[in-house]
Amino acid sequence: MFPRSWKAVIFLATIPRALALWPVPRTLTTGSSFVVLSPTFKITVNVPNPPQDLLSAVSQTKTYLETDKLQRLVVGRGASDAGSLKTAAVLPSLTLTLQNALPVLPISVEAVKDVASRSEGYTLSIPSDGKPAVLSANSTLGLLRGLTTFSQFWYDLNGVTYTNVGPVSIVKDVPAYPYRGFMLDTARNFFPVADIKRTLDAMSWVKINTFHWHIVDSQSFPLSLPDFPELAQKGAYSASEVYSPADVQDIVSYAAARGIDVLMEIDTPGHTAIIATSHPELVACNQASPWSTFANEPPAGQLRLASPAAVNFTANLFTAAAKVLPGKYFSTGGDELNTACYAQDAVTQADLKKSGQTLEQALNVFTKTTHDALAAVGKTPVVWEEMVLEHNLTLSNNTLVMVWISSANAAAVAAKNFRFVHGPSDYFYLDCGAGEWIGNNPSGNSWCDPFKTWQKSYTFDPLANLTAAQAHLVLGGQQLLWSEQSDAQNIDSIVWPRAATSAEIFWTGAKLPSGAALSGTEALPRLHELRYRMVQRGVRAIAIQPQWCALRPSLCNIDS
Amino acid sequence: MKLSLFALSALLPSALALWPLPTGLSLGSTPLRLAKGFDIKIAINNAPADLVAAVSRTKGFLANDKLAALVIDRGASSASAIASAKSLPSLTLSLAFEPKGPCKSISAEAVGPIEGRSEGYTLVVPADGSGAVLKANSTLGLFRGLTTFSQLWYDLKGTTYSLSAPVQISDAPAYPYRGFMLDTARNYYPVSDIKRTLDAMSWVKINTLHWHVVDSQSFPLVIPGYTELSAKGAYSAKSVYTPEDVKSIVAYAAARGIDVIPEIDTPGHTSVIAKAFPEHIACAEATPWTAFANEPPAGQLRLASASTISFTSGMLKAAAGLFSSQFFSTGGDEINANCYKQDAETQKSLSSSNQTFLQALDKFTQDTHAALRSVGKSAVVWEEMVLDNPVKLANDTVVMVWISSANVQAVARTGHRLVHAASDFFYLDCGQGGWVGANPNGNSWCDPFKTWQHAYTFNPTANLTAAESSRVLGGQSLLWAEQSGPQNLDSTTWPRAASTAELFWSGPGGNVQAALPRLHEVVYRFRQRGVAAISLQPEWCALRPGACDL
Repeated sequence: MFPRSWKAVIFLATIPRALALWPVPRTLTTGSSFVVLSPTFKITVNVPNPPQDLLSAVSQTKTYLETDKLQRLVVGRGASDAGSLKTAAVLPSLTLTLQNALPVLPISVEAVKDVASRSEGYTLSIPSDGKPAVLSANSTLGLLRGLTTFSQFWYDLNGVTYTNVGPVSIVKDVPAYPYRGFMLDTARNFFPVADIKRTLDAMSWVKINTFHWHIVDSQSFPLSLPDFPELAQKGAYSASEVYSPADVQDIVSYAAARGIDVLMEIDTPGHTAIIATSHPELVACNQASPWSTFANEPPAGQLRLASPAAVNFTANLFTAAAKVLPGKYFSTGGDELNTACYAQDAVTQADLKKSGQTLEQALNVFTKTTHDALAAVGKTPVVWEEMVLEHNLTLSNNTLVMVWISSANAAAVAAKNFRFVHGPSDYFYLDCGAGEWIGNNPSGNSWCDPFKTWQKSYTFDPLANLTAAQAHLVLGGQQLLWSEQSDAQNIDSIVWPRAATSAEIFWTGAKLPSGAALSGTEALPRLHELRYRMVQRGVRAIAIQPQWCALRPSLCNIDS
Repeated sequence: MKLSLFALSALLPSALALWPLPTGLSLGSTPLRLAKGFDIKIAINNAPADLVAAVSRTKGFLANDKLAALVIDRGASSASAIASAKSLPSLTLSLAFEPKGPCKSISAEAVGPIEGRSEGYTLVVPADGSGAVLKANSTLGLFRGLTTFSQLWYDLKGTTYSLSAPVQISDAPAYPYRGFMLDTARNYYPVSDIKRTLDAMSWVKINTLHWHVVDSQSFPLVIPGYTELSAKGAYSAKSVYTPEDVKSIVAYAAARGIDVIPEIDTPGHTSVIAKAFPEHIACAEATPWTAFANEPPAGQLRLASASTISFTSGMLKAAAGLFSSQFFSTGGDEINANCYKQDAETQKSLSSSNQTFLQALDKFTQDTHAALRSVGKSAVVWEEMVLDNPVKLANDTVVMVWISSANVQAVARTGHRLVHAASDFFYLDCGQGGWVGANPNGNSWCDPFKTWQHAYTFNPTANLTAAESSRVLGGQSLLWAEQSGPQNLDSTTWPRAASTAELFWSGPGGNVQAALPRLHEVVYRFRQRGVAAISLQPEWCALRPGACDL
């Protein structure tokens, strides 16, 4: 008998079309038997006092099993399976159990624990002899991840729901990295709550566990806070383009029930021009022109970081926003600080002179004070890479850093001994390649051209240029959608299926269960299946190849 | 008071939602609102049903667009001016002459000879409360005028208004061909998506759908007498266009002033025909595909085979019968020589007939084009048919330039009429990365992304003599669908395809800075009408024209 890993290799080689799992579990053995879901298929929750969100997840899973109706992506769409299905074993049920998990906590509680202490692993077996399938985990969050995997095994042929890879054994699927995110900018253009919720659903299907919500920026302030209502009243695009406190809670709880933590960002001290609509005294170089002198994009405007009033305002703003969020992290931004803005701002210059500080010293006070305010409400700050690479600030050791400018900067962040998240523009920016959006610049191009294909993103190595001792600093990574050229019209088509690539890199890790390295060639058929399944579930993921190729994946490779 | 257009665009930059910009336009600055009982009257005896339907759709847009002006306060500060404005009671449509007998329908005009189509109109919207008047020489012209009329209006709390009365427009297109090409073979688009696209096209006065209906990957077109092609070559039994579907699309298009030019690309791009007729295809799915085709799967019609020529002629004729256009494209791009070199059948046919490849292609083309001519169709071909593989073509053949705008002059010098479709300006699919598998560093072959601004700066007559310029019929945006489907049809196409629509209606030389605020309005109006056009900029910029310029 072959060792288990060999079996997987051979299987992948012979029937690569039969594994619609994404992300690939860390351990996986599959057979080649057909198993059909019983018409009376049940999911039994063998958990004492099961939390409501677990019951909802079970109910949602049953709905997917009934309504996905995804035909196999092969020529003939599985019609040749008809004979095998007649004699296939029938799966009567799936039983969920918890191990070593008292008290039983809701998914929503597990999902917002500190990122390093979440329990997302599970064990799943799907027999091919008519016995029930069993899913067990140490937490309700792990059960949710297992349900997600379970729902990806099934195809439809004329109303019969079946898999062709029974029996299945996933001894232990646990994520390689604890942070797997997606960032959405809702300030350059507004996204209605319904679009965010649909995105959260899609994120959960690929086990993304963090929604990094870049909620406000210089262009608009859609976040309505009871303590600062004027910011959205004057800074939102319109009264209807606002996230009310109830909307935020709705999104946070919708996310948490799907195993997703909401990491909110209020970018400071740059990217804050819009605050001037209600607090002009706090913002330097507000809408100053030419904007290109004062900001990387219009409009210019930055918080007067040397002003005690602005520091105080910002600290209170963070407190007001963060105190109603259950997650442990809150991002204060810190990217793209423009020094010309402050150099030309008389108020800032007077503040600096009065306090005898340099701009850099003032930034340190601003950062320390505002981060202390977050700490006081139990939040760990998150910052963009400039705050550790371009500025010399006193940051608490547990500050989380996001790499964005270039993947080449990850090593420098690691050298500073901060934990960090990969979000480099050269691999993970979903907006690149859509051309120039600045007006009156007909020959301009996307600043981060070319488009980042899923294939390119998929080659990302989270540990490149890091020492073994630094590896623990990598919390994970995410793809990001900056929305200068996006909104509800194209969110699905820009994000899916591409954002699934980082989801797999950071769940599955460097190697497939077979021991082989992740490879785009292996992944392509599975990504097609994910895309088609997403379409069945109402997310408008785009075609990554002609359908001819989707039904014959390797035949459209460069070397076939 | 009347302002010239340029002065006006400086003063009221967001008050001009017209797209494409009329060729003759004068606007005032008087507020005017639509009367509650506003009506559109057709002062034509026995008005054709499609004109009546167009009027009804226009009334629907006036009632439902509800587009708030793209200014910071979305028009709120104009409330009192609007409240005290005069009301426009009606719009009256009439023909500029009394037709002998019943006038022709929009649908009939839209598919008439391209150089003879009458799309011009005059529109007067007085500011004094008297009725508006739309006149044209044809129902097609009236339809274009209705489209313009529907773009004049904004909404403020239920009041439909303009701040630019009086309006006087005398408009006609600079070029007779303004198209959009859709590839429905790499990925399939349901009929409803095509119809939504036709609606959107009509809103910017695009008058041609170039329907690249089949290709090597799939054959969704059901052709009477050749149903095996789609039965075996469509992606699924549902992913087809039946004769009823085609009829419905053609009629829907024509009623919106759009001619549907089908393309069955030959002799290349035909691999899928081998599913039903293997005997007609050389190098079907041969590997490595890179040696036999520009993209997978390889496969080309055996152009030197008499039976293949006869098959192709018959098929084209049968397909042409489904369409009312006077044009039919036979393609002719990207013929792969190696495919034929390695095909024993083709080599045998060539040697038994003592022909070179080019002679065989010439015969193939003449025979298949003759078949189309026998059913009243003029041929359309891609540029290779006059540049790389110059074959004998009838004088009325229209050539599409696609490889590069640098090839326009060479095509014009052949004496053929041409359509601009150059990849370096008009390909909507560029810039989305490489799609071929196992090629992680691959990029879009025609990278970068073609922005609306880039397309807008195209000069249709660059380097052409006056005689050569007269052969330019117009131009089009094109969507090849390797990475597209119904999921991103709207977002990939709109508003960019509108840029090309204006270029070829209003004429070249437009200024991107002046156009941007109007194009934002196109985007926002499209969305109100259910087409998911994407944001060109942050909304902050859309509400502050000029503030996000370089």
